[in-house]
Amino acid sequence: MFALRIEGIKKSFGEYNAVKNVSFSVEKGKVYGLLGPNGAGKTTTIRMITNILIPDEGNIYIFDEPAGPIHQNIIGYLPEERGLYKKLKVIEQLVYFAQLKGMNSFDAKKKAREWLNKLDAGSWENKKIQELSKGMQQKVQFISTVLHEPDILIFDEPFSGFDPINTEILKKIILDLKDMGKTIVLSTHIMEQAEQLCDDICLINKGSIVLDGSIREVKSNYGRDLIIIEFEGDDSFINDFSNLKFINRTKNRIEFRFTDGQFFVNDFLQKAIQSVQLYKFELSEPSLNEIFIDTVTKQELNQ
Amino acid sequence: MNRKTSTAKIWTIIRHEYTTKVKSKGFIISTILGPLILLALIAIPIIVTMLSMGESEKKIAIIDNSGRNIGHKLFSIDTTKYLLTNSSLSELRNQLLNRVIDGYFFIPEDITTRSKITIYTRGGGGIAFIAKIEKNLSRIIRHERLSEAGLDPNFIDMADKGIEVQTEKLTEEGSKKDYAEVFAGVGYFLGFMIYMMMFMYGSLVMRSVIEEKANRIIEVIASSAKPFEIMFGKVVGIGAVGLTQVIVWVVLSLGILSLVGPVASMIAPSPDTFTAGMPIDGREASFMQNFEIPEISIWLILGFIFYFLSGYFIYSTLFAAVGSAVDQEADAQQLMTPITLPIIIPILFIGSVISNPDGVLAVVLSLIPFFSPILMIVRVAATDVPLWQILSSVLLMISTFLGCLWVAAKIYRTGILMYGKKPSFKDIFKWVKLAK
Repeated sequence: MFALRIEGIKKSFGEYNAVKNVSFSVEKGKVYGLLGPNGAGKTTTIRMITNILIPDEGNIYIFDEPAGPIHQNIIGYLPEERGLYKKLKVIEQLVYFAQLKGMNSFDAKKKAREWLNKLDAGSWENKKIQELSKGMQQKVQFISTVLHEPDILIFDEPFSGFDPINTEILKKIILDLKDMGKTIVLSTHIMEQAEQLCDDICLINKGSIVLDGSIREVKSNYGRDLIIIEFEGDDSFINDFSNLKFINRTKNRIEFRFTDGQFFVNDFLQKAIQSVQLYKFELSEPSLNEIFIDTVTKQELNQ
Repeated sequence: MNRKTSTAKIWTIIRHEYTTKVKSKGFIISTILGPLILLALIAIPIIVTMLSMGESEKKIAIIDNSGRNIGHKLFSIDTTKYLLTNSSLSELRNQLLNRVIDGYFFIPEDITTRSKITIYTRGGGGIAFIAKIEKNLSRIIRHERLSEAGLDPNFIDMADKGIEVQTEKLTEEGSKKDYAEVFAGVGYFLGFMIYMMMFMYGSLVMRSVIEEKANRIIEVIASSAKPFEIMFGKVVGIGAVGLTQVIVWVVLSLGILSLVGPVASMIAPSPDTFTAGMPIDGREASFMQNFEIPEISIWLILGFIFYFLSGYFIYSTLFAAVGSAVDQEADAQQLMTPITLPIIIPILFIGSVISNPDGVLAVVLSLIPFFSPILMIVRVAATDVPLWQILSSVLLMISTFLGCLWVAAKIYRTGILMYGKKPSFKDIFKWVKLAK
């Protein structure tokens, strides 16, 4: 069952086409990564899912119903630009946002306290937002996103502003939410996080999807053609090969790929063994980060 | 699935706006301070009058050379002020400079044929003080001239007696004492109050919209409710705050007035002491004489509340639209001009509407919905406005409100998500046109 199904949505602002043609589906209970560079159209896409904007064309289905204001209550949205009322107390803030999502104030207060305690923030309840540090405000904002127990959660750069310890806590909470059967859309620039958390991803660039599928599929489609070697000795033998593209080159470690796509692996290995002391040889799949950069630059070159 | 209806969301927003604003220090202070300022406005003139009563009178020395007892007649009008003397002019001059007296003048023999005489003072003293001397003296001289012309003194007295105009207002319940001037003042006051409150609460709405936009709160709220619900809830919530303040003010003010009235007329000296102290017009005397407060009708109060609310609703939606279009308050100035102008214009006309509240100009201006809140309440206070005019203004204002709401909602919906460039009127016009 798809929690979220998006079919050919488009959105322009005057002359500017923010989203040209985006379709994807998110299975219930999965973590879906919405990846792409700045200005790719991720936020506009999210705003259409959350019913802040209405698509010019195309359809959005939430649990197989055409998306509308009624679905706002079952979505929790953490925008990239965080926003809280500076003068409100933490608890008032949380209760108000939860009420806007349809909760009654009694349940909202109870849940808010539970979450504050869970995030070691129980003592902030009556502090005003402006008295809190940036990191503390981020926690409050995160709680406001999950408080009303939405079925679909949309996190836009959820880890920005968190220190490494809190980032780990948050990752665990996101995975816990997934285990509870929640569907999660995660928009991020940081590919390692996407690799760790997401089941499926799509890559948006310039308003269109350029890549999508499960992380496994995406990687295997890209091919297991990345070669990593670690060695000691004189690396000048490498200059005998003119068909190499270096991904990463340091004194004792090189990541590269054959530019003509053909595998001269045996050839290369022979030369290497003769020339240097070889510690490691790995035929690896590319990282998501590399795929991301590669796809975006290729698209840029094609235009 | 949790499906909260649209009205429930609007209620949540109204409640939020209301409770956060009503709890704010600014609201509590201005609500309490308002009636206290009113009290001060009433009390200060009374206190000042009473204090100045105790002040020593200015002494004016008179050298009477007329041979007609004019100096004596002046003296008998006010024995504390005037002083008959035979001192020489140079002596008086010294006395004046040494502050023994405050002024002196010389009455020449040919006073009745002159049109001017000179009073010497140290300067200052106030126009009223000179005017009083002039009035006293003129009256005596007029008598002298008339009797010189051979008129019978009784006849002169008879001719000199003025007439005081007193007005009575005729209503269905019978005739009442008319407080036309007082009610004109009340109208001025109420019109000005509505003007200030429309500005105050309108900009409160605007600032609140800008706060949500600048702090990026709006994105979270917009993912929970429709832009129209957010804007409407805010306008109604803050309007309820205004209504609360007005009601508190009305109750406190009526309380204060009902206390001040009797107390003031108890403390205030009787009219006799006034006339003895300073001979003044009958009109002034009768005003000072009774601090009784004219009965303020419930319709005037209801009218005030209605015209404040309808004015607030018309303008606050527009203020909300302006707030949504900018990123910070400083950018709002230029866009506010088309809103602030129609609020200010009626203030310029208050004077002429009060002086002729039933004239064509007053009727036409007070029916223009953007001017109605201020000018209609002025007329309601100052005159008996025909029912059809009231009803027309109510209808016109309600439809104007709906129109403003419709336009503002379109601007708001686009504006809240636009950051960066400050929009021009042309951009905003485009938003209205393109919004579905």
